[in-house]
Amino acid sequence: MKDIDCTDKTSRVINQEIRHYIQAGETEIHVHHPQARHNLGVAVLQPVSLTMTGSVGYYCGGLIDGPRIEVQGSCGWGLAESMLSGTVIVNQNAGNSAAASIRGGTIVVRGSASSRAGIAMKGGTLIVQGNSGYMTGFMMQKGTIIVCGDTAEALGDSMYEGRIFVGGRISDLGNDAVVEEVTDRDRAFLTTILAEYDIEAPASFQKIVSGRRLWQFDKKDFDTWREAL
Amino acid sequence: MNEHRTSEQRTSERPVVRHSTIWKPENIEDIQAKADLGRYRIRGFSALRDRPLPSFDDLTFVPCTLTRVPLEGYREKCSTKTVLGSRFAKKPIEIDIPIMVTGMSYGALSYNAKVALAKAAARAGTSTTTGDGGMLAAEREHSDILIYEVLPSRYGIDVHHLRQADAIELTVGQGAKPGTGGLLLESKVSDEIAELRDLPPGVDQRSPCRHPDWLGPDDMLTKIEELREATDWQVPIFVKMGAARVYDDVKLAAKAGADVVVVDGMEGGTGASPDILLDHTGIPTLAAVSEARVALEECGLYGTVQLIIAGGIHSGTAAAKALALGADAVYIGTAALIALNCNKPLYVDDYHAIGAEPYACHHCHTGRCPVGITTQDPELMKRLDIDAGAERVGNFFNAMTLEIQMLARSCGKSDVHALEPEDLRALTLESSMITGIPLVGTNVVFAGGPGWKPSSER
Repeated sequence: MKDIDCTDKTSRVINQEIRHYIQAGETEIHVHHPQARHNLGVAVLQPVSLTMTGSVGYYCGGLIDGPRIEVQGSCGWGLAESMLSGTVIVNQNAGNSAAASIRGGTIVVRGSASSRAGIAMKGGTLIVQGNSGYMTGFMMQKGTIIVCGDTAEALGDSMYEGRIFVGGRISDLGNDAVVEEVTDRDRAFLTTILAEYDIEAPASFQKIVSGRRLWQFDKKDFDTWREAL
Repeated sequence: MNEHRTSEQRTSERPVVRHSTIWKPENIEDIQAKADLGRYRIRGFSALRDRPLPSFDDLTFVPCTLTRVPLEGYREKCSTKTVLGSRFAKKPIEIDIPIMVTGMSYGALSYNAKVALAKAAARAGTSTTTGDGGMLAAEREHSDILIYEVLPSRYGIDVHHLRQADAIELTVGQGAKPGTGGLLLESKVSDEIAELRDLPPGVDQRSPCRHPDWLGPDDMLTKIEELREATDWQVPIFVKMGAARVYDDVKLAAKAGADVVVVDGMEGGTGASPDILLDHTGIPTLAAVSEARVALEECGLYGTVQLIIAGGIHSGTAAAKALALGADAVYIGTAALIALNCNKPLYVDDYHAIGAEPYACHHCHTGRCPVGITTQDPELMKRLDIDAGAERVGNFFNAMTLEIQMLARSCGKSDVHALEPEDLRALTLESSMITGIPLVGTNVVFAGGPGWKPSSER
């Protein structure tokens, strides 16, 4: 295990040190005093374990493929954006657009996630133990979002495909987002994946999917398109 | 004889047909089409508006006579080498000519078209660009220099592809439809394209216009830093925008750390767009280059941040004028497709079948391109032979380059990048005011346009 102290270092230097240790064969790295620096752990492509012992800024774990990143504090915008595979766990809260456009892997936010969580997701799984902000799952394409708490306005707006499970109260569904019955298979999946991350499952979930009315331009759907964002 | 004719009409044997200037045939057709569709109209290609835009054609070169000495037009060396991205990147792009292929997606274009463009660009010693659908493996294979676009949609985003690129282009918008995302209609969202973009096959795909994880220029600064970290600060980062408030936007992009700024004028083409955006949004490329230049000059970054201009560049003359006004290079898109055979009178019945004509086809959105360029139909695609197409586009690159060199030599320049505003005069009052270049026959700089200052003030 290697330690990196971020004090008085730029993100560039910190990332260089992370890469240096990875290239030297290190598989577990602790990054101390990150003090909300942006772009930490970007584009890590090896199955190593990175632990940020404080809070991080924008795009932590962005463009990664394979590592396990744990943030012991909170994170800024764009957590693990465009991730292909790996696991990212944030022990506190996440800023806007957590898991933006991820194509695989799993992201767990143990606190709450801000607006546009899971925006344009193309695969993978986002789990929010607390609440999530407005437009969660906006233009989602594939994958799974699980919010154990409440969701704000415009949930699942304009989603193409994918599924969103909400354990708390849904403030408002977005354009073309519809409620679908939760199946036994869904329940089994939720129980298993939440247990994997030591998250107590809510008593029940609602499931949100695409109504598919925005899939095609159609004059019969004028009212929908007029409101579509 | 019709008994209901008025006495006025009877003054002529043949009635005079008078069209309204408001209710023109095209306006009548437009209303009736919308009355059927119940939505805005969608089409491809470029602006079709009947009022001409101010353009590079409104400028003329003033070659050497006695005040300056020309180079031998057909012989003397005239460099076209172009370097982009020297501000922060460890490996700036070096291309042989100041003409590059703009981003057009695999999806909007056929496989054959993408590969033909890649081969043509490699032969001509220049670059090509991925587009809104990720990187096609064959495109990487056949491109010597490939620019990877990071777009708001992030379709096909893949860090491994990003790291194979020679430059990254962070796309804020495009000239065809600034402020609005692209479209790819059902017929082109084949199973393969859908899989590459993580979409359901056969949807009318509408791309977002906002990036999912940043909004304003301050965020963009951090995003650019992320892209540099992901590529180890090796390759240049371009920022591409549709031409709107260019003077301010270029300053913001430069301040956010772009190595290269790309400004795409309203003449820029597209595979599919609401047609109102093609005709009625953005500013012309002529105005865009003028504003962009002065923006960089005022930041003290002209020459440090390179400027690429795009939008309706159709010839070496247009490219040379863009260079003289301040561009370091131009992007071509539609012109390259036309060199591939777009709008050529081949398979004429198939043009008619989609309601088009050769030389007047803007039906890229249908996916039924008669010449196999803007289609995902395997049978139509076969009509575009990759190597023959690559040769035509390569020839067109060469022709454009020779045209630029010829104009540069006539202006006494041994490097095309030495072309300057003083080599130009305006043919119209309008273009004089836009560019700040004197109207022919005068020494007057009307309005002191933003793109040019007298040498005494520089």
